[in-house]
Amino acid sequence: MTNVVLFDAINNVPVSEKTSAHKLPGDIAMWVFIVMELSVFAIFFIAFAVTQRIQSEMFSEGRVTLNASTGLFCTLALIVSSYFVALAVEAIRKGQNLVASRRLILAMLSAIVYLALKFTEYVTLVELGFDLSTNSFYTLYFLITGFHFMHVLLGMVIVGYMGIKARKDIYSPTDCSGFEAGASYWHMVDLVWIIVFFLIYIIH
Amino acid sequence: MSRLINNVHFSAIILVLLTLISTLLAQSNIQENLLALLVTLSVVIKGQQIVDIFMELNKAEAKWRWFLLSYTILIPIILAIIIYF
Repeated sequence: MTNVVLFDAINNVPVSEKTSAHKLPGDIAMWVFIVMELSVFAIFFIAFAVTQRIQSEMFSEGRVTLNASTGLFCTLALIVSSYFVALAVEAIRKGQNLVASRRLILAMLSAIVYLALKFTEYVTLVELGFDLSTNSFYTLYFLITGFHFMHVLLGMVIVGYMGIKARKDIYSPTDCSGFEAGASYWHMVDLVWIIVFFLIYIIH
Repeated sequence: MSRLINNVHFSAIILVLLTLISTLLAQSNIQENLLALLVTLSVVIKGQQIVDIFMELNKAEAKWRWFLLSYTILIPIILAIIIYF
């Protein structure tokens, strides 16, 4: 299938860009889902902060067992991944499905770096004898980061599916709302991690 | 100037730089209240970049944009207030 970018004759603006002005990228159902997910994470974050306020010594001791550089590299990996997904959306809007699929592969490779780092951190903590039942810090740490880890896995399935469809040249500049919806979900995962990094690795 | 600010590449650079700066600040001997202020500000700016540039909500209806922006502004501020003050 050949994609042709339609242009508005008067303004010389691609039709896809013109119609997308003041329009929510993707699908409204995805945005409702994103808002729900963000609300659940907000409850976790507030629970973590309140418990830290009550048991500050326990949380300070817990943070010592975490490696700040792991948090830093996880953050950088997710930012790079989100960047490639954003570039893939730009490519799709220009009708460049193959370019978009390559950018999604780079996004997934970057996400794999995040998964590997996080998994290594979990293994290290478990080997040191820390798990969900150790104390409130580890319970909340494993719940928040584990829940986020699951979202990254789901996001990778979505991004992988988008990549396969892009490789088959299915998207067009005027029909790419599914692609935009998947990209928005991936950016939500990144947004949540920015706050996780701030709350668990930076604040002390 | 506005094209640069609304650019994905520029936004990614800001996100990386702010992440590096906040990590360095957290490991320095900076005063606690100042650290709270600076890292909270950095996470708010990072959230705004993701919402406006990566999610492209700067082109969407204002209600959606402000809903997401209020999350990225209020949640870090609430967390910092609970923990530090």
